[in-house]
Amino acid sequence: MTAESRWAVETHGLTKRFGANIAVNGVELMVPRGSAFGYLGPNGAGKTTLIRVLLGLTRADAGTMSLLGYPVPRHRGVALARVGAIVDEPRFHRHLTGRQNLRLLAAAREPAARDRIGPALERVGLEHRGDDRLSEYSMGMRQRLGVAACLLGDPQLLLLDEPMNGLDPAGMAEMRDMILSMVAEGRTVVLSSHLLDEVERSCDAVAIVDRGRIIQQGPISELLAGAQLTLDVECSEPGRARALLAGTTLGARIEAVPSALGLEITLPAGTGRDVIAEISRVLVEGGIAVYRLRPVSTSLESWFLQVTSRLGDPE
Amino acid sequence: MTTAPTSGIPAPGQALQTAPTGHSRDRRGSPIPTAGMIATRVMELRKRRGLMIALILVNIGFPAVFLLIRLLGHAFAPYANPPAGGDMIFVILIAGFLPTFGFIVATTVGAAAGSRDLTEGMFRHLVVTGRSRLALYLARIPAGLAIVVPLVAIGVAIVCAVCAFAAPAFIDDSNVNIPPGLSRAAFENWAGDHAEPVICLLPGNGQTPGNVACPGWSKSALPPGQPAPAKLEALAVKIAGQDYHGYTQILRRPPISLMIKAGLWIELEAAVGFILGLGLASLLGQRLVPVILIIVLQMILTPILSAVDLPHLQDLQRSFVGLAMTHLEPSGLPLAVGLPGVAGGLGRPGGAPSLLPESATEAACVIIAWLAGWTILGAWRMMTRDA
Repeated sequence: MTAESRWAVETHGLTKRFGANIAVNGVELMVPRGSAFGYLGPNGAGKTTLIRVLLGLTRADAGTMSLLGYPVPRHRGVALARVGAIVDEPRFHRHLTGRQNLRLLAAAREPAARDRIGPALERVGLEHRGDDRLSEYSMGMRQRLGVAACLLGDPQLLLLDEPMNGLDPAGMAEMRDMILSMVAEGRTVVLSSHLLDEVERSCDAVAIVDRGRIIQQGPISELLAGAQLTLDVECSEPGRARALLAGTTLGARIEAVPSALGLEITLPAGTGRDVIAEISRVLVEGGIAVYRLRPVSTSLESWFLQVTSRLGDPE
Repeated sequence: MTTAPTSGIPAPGQALQTAPTGHSRDRRGSPIPTAGMIATRVMELRKRRGLMIALILVNIGFPAVFLLIRLLGHAFAPYANPPAGGDMIFVILIAGFLPTFGFIVATTVGAAAGSRDLTEGMFRHLVVTGRSRLALYLARIPAGLAIVVPLVAIGVAIVCAVCAFAAPAFIDDSNVNIPPGLSRAAFENWAGDHAEPVICLLPGNGQTPGNVACPGWSKSALPPGQPAPAKLEALAVKIAGQDYHGYTQILRRPPISLMIKAGLWIELEAAVGFILGLGLASLLGQRLVPVILIIVLQMILTPILSAVDLPHLQDLQRSFVGLAMTHLEPSGLPLAVGLPGVAGGLGRPGGAPSLLPESATEAACVIIAWLAGWTILGAWRMMTRDA
């Protein structure tokens, strides 16, 4: 493995146990360089633990991993030199100012890091509050300071664990813009979040993790293309329409349930356009007035709910 | 968030530098902390107001206020108030107050340095920089000492200055004020002129004659020389002759060599307190419990161990850092101060305070072992704990 690897993050069989509980279970993760990568999972799925293992905050029990092509923990120092991270809620020394906290962190990095304090504060919008004590910061400001701390190392890889926490809608939009701008600069951003909408807007690819194991990963567009398709059908006599469909060869392949204005038909993943045309033909030939037949595009959220086992329990 | 940085970090949309700059000189894996790391740790500790106030109050504030009150009292009422300085005040402050409370507050500083990164969530950020955890730990030692040592030095300097320059004009021998620097003959002559206080207060081998009324002689109310019966005068001269050696041992002001040695000893006390606090707090990951444990060790266990005879556990007794520190106490400071945990502790039953025999080398080895042991334990925990 070399520093020229095309993966910013690469893990194989990564495992972390806490007693009998396996928090990270044989994770195989590949994050392409220069991408915005979402890491999604329900509560207790092991998202934060994986990031902690990657950063050397806790030790892995098994498996291998590399950051920016450098195997860790063997080359942890050189790998983390170009990594910035927010893990959990960003906490700092409350008796120091934002700028002083950054000085403390910059001193542990390379000498050039100190020169980046001002620009980093400016970039996250804290240039006028940098000399205030942390005790006067709101949660959102601490999040921004956490991002500024990430930027001190001029990172090629950012691991952001729930960076939107505590941000108001405007702050979330700014954070999203900043993530996109960082990716545009060639950095890799790994975004662990329960805000599926934000991840969908910010990221190119995602991995879904549940009970410590990655269920699926890949580009969002490819993953959603493999999701179930839903048809929203507005028609007369929904009950008879449902019976008509059940009586054809389509009945075994689709699931139709009544909705407010007609039927909601769920088609299996990979269903072609010809099936939609067949549904339309059966209904019309059966004397059903079809007012509207609309494929509902699958959102990341609905796909996430399909593939995770603990529905309605987002982190 | 704005999108127009001035320098250092690429603006949004600007390509990232793929060639890292400055990393080759970085030596991030080195266990040796950089000067910048130490400097910022000094800043972090210095900004802890409560801790710094306690440190300054104990090492400088209380001794300075105590001496100032004595200076003012003597200045405004010299007959009612003795001079502010002198050897006795020096002993009280240097062998009693400063090492005891200076040790405690230095321990508190060490415990804060060892635990606050963890409890305030900063440790995680520091580990993510990729810097060696050992370097992160070791940076705290010079940083803490850079704060503790100068403040202790200032406190000691104030005490020394006042004790030297505001020393009494007389030797205080058993509450009898005697002119300093007398020869044996002059001392005996002076005793003949002050027979009653000499007979009543100076240590004599015989009984006080029944015809001498011994009122509460005090050094501030020394009566002028009174003619005394020849018998009493002879007795006073005899007592003075017996006490002359003791008189010559009493100092009006502390000698410079003692002040220097005592200052270095107190610095050592403070440094030991700081490093023990740092190591134990890093090991336990909290501040309060280590401080309590070290206070119990120093203020309760050590005096008890110094006071009891445990024939089969003498090596264990000698291995306590408090006793080893007492062995290194400058010889000019008395072991009989009697403050628990300080300079000889409670004293052994039925006699003057004494210590288990231990050479200075052995004492130094015990201290070094304690410092190294707790530093290793603290560093090990720092290197292995989850952040």
